Amino acid sequence: MYMKIPHVLNRRNRILLKELVKTDFKLRYQGSVLGYLWALLRPLMMFAILYVVFCKLLRIGGDIPHYPVYLLTGTVMWSFFTECTLQGIQAIVLRGDLLRKICFPKYIVVVSATLTAVVNMLINLVVIILFALINGVTPSLSWLLVPLSLIEIYLFSLGISFLLGSINVKYRDITSIWEVLVSALFYAVPIIYPISMVADVSATAAKILLLNPIAQAIQDIRYNLITNEAITMWGYINNPLFMIIPMAVVVTVLIIGAVVFRHKSKFFAEEV
Amino acid sequence: MKRTLGTRTEINNPNDDVVIRVRDLHKSFKLPTEQSFGLKQAIFNRLRGIKGYEIQKVLRGIDMEIKRGEFIGIVGRNGSGKSTLLKTLAGIYWPEKGKITINGTLIPFIELGVGFNPELTGRENVYMNGALLGFSNDEMDKMYDDIWKFAELEQFQDQKLKNYSSGMQVRLAFSIAIRAKGDILLLDEVLAVGDAAFQQKCNDYFKSLKDNNQTVILVTHSMENVKQFCNRAILIDDGKILEQGDPKKIADKYLEILL
Repeated sequence: MYMKIPHVLNRRNRILLKELVKTDFKLRYQGSVLGYLWALLRPLMMFAILYVVFCKLLRIGGDIPHYPVYLLTGTVMWSFFTECTLQGIQAIVLRGDLLRKICFPKYIVVVSATLTAVVNMLINLVVIILFALINGVTPSLSWLLVPLSLIEIYLFSLGISFLLGSINVKYRDITSIWEVLVSALFYAVPIIYPISMVADVSATAAKILLLNPIAQAIQDIRYNLITNEAITMWGYINNPLFMIIPMAVVVTVLIIGAVVFRHKSKFFAEEV
Repeated sequence: MKRTLGTRTEINNPNDDVVIRVRDLHKSFKLPTEQSFGLKQAIFNRLRGIKGYEIQKVLRGIDMEIKRGEFIGIVGRNGSGKSTLLKTLAGIYWPEKGKITINGTLIPFIELGVGFNPELTGRENVYMNGALLGFSNDEMDKMYDDIWKFAELEQFQDQKLKNYSSGMQVRLAFSIAIRAKGDILLLDEVLAVGDAAFQQKCNDYFKSLKDNNQTVILVTHSMENVKQFCNRAILIDDGKILEQGDPKKIADKYLEILL
């Protein structure tokens, strides 16, 4: 009767989470002249480079309507995924001092690190929407479906962060390996090239690419936000059995991540 | 190594007079023998059949009970396991074997100013540190002015913490820490710093805790504090309780094993 029910996010944990996100955000842009503006400038600059190289020099994507917005959406969502996972994986090690001195649920540290990436992404989403309106995209009800894909990317990143983050405490190589892996993975996701280019060569390859949850989510966002001409996993793969693969991957990674993290977190304080 | 796990339970039973129960508590650490951080070394060790770590037993069977309102002093030589005991009670380390039951809310002070960041201003650090102690923004707003007044640092609120002297940082942290409210306080030598004026403030703080019948567990090397404030002292040596009871007797015993 006297047992305290462990709340996932009780009052104390909520206070802590809020303060950690606030601090992370402040620290990130500490001492820079442009401050928070960098949260906007980074993806915009990456977009500008990709736009010049791929649209203007290599002339890719000319047949897709609103291609610049289409490209910007892809780069912003990709930055969201990489930032989320990289921050999440390193969170436990970076906050080692806290773990060694106070007792609190360790996942808070990972969630706070990834939430900082969410805040960045949301700021960029506003830019995408402004950009889309300027570019002549008409707002539609399908915009309301976009948050579903954002949640999917977030949960996938969180699962990866839990799983790799708990291994990273002991084997710090994980951070470096993941950095290399994401930069390679960038080319396996149809961000800078339209998926139709792959489909022209091999339909099977295009289908396999679309089964990646990140690719599937990015294409869904583009479809719902910008143009019905964006090829989505749902429209391109006709076997319903395969359609569940991206979701299944996300759920599996999240569950495995949570279980591993739960077990390993008992020893973070002494190992970090 | 297959790790066996003990338990640590938090309950809230105001009718029970015992606030901490510890049964047969064991804790050991895996210490890396070579630099075993990193995959390469881990694979090498696996191939050569080297364990890559040593087991260090720190706590070897601690049994104790602490009652509401007691002021307990835990003493012992360096490396005897005092801090590990405190951290295991606080839930920072997981017990390897045995059982801990905590009855009520427990506030650990393993260090003053946990989470202080030199790049943030004094104001921001106060809110961060407060959040770590479980205070919400609103609660912090209410005690904000008192914190600075007590620390005597009002004019430095918006300076970055890196521009504070270490003494100023300790004063600020202490001023926040003493506001923490909990059924049980764990203090780990946090107050063994600062000048004479600061020591006086600490003594006043201990005295107020004692007058309020606050349950306190204090890890310390100061036998003066033990004699002055504790109702009971526990001497730990080599991960076991060597003796416990009257603070004066324990203080003498401590000096005896030290020399």
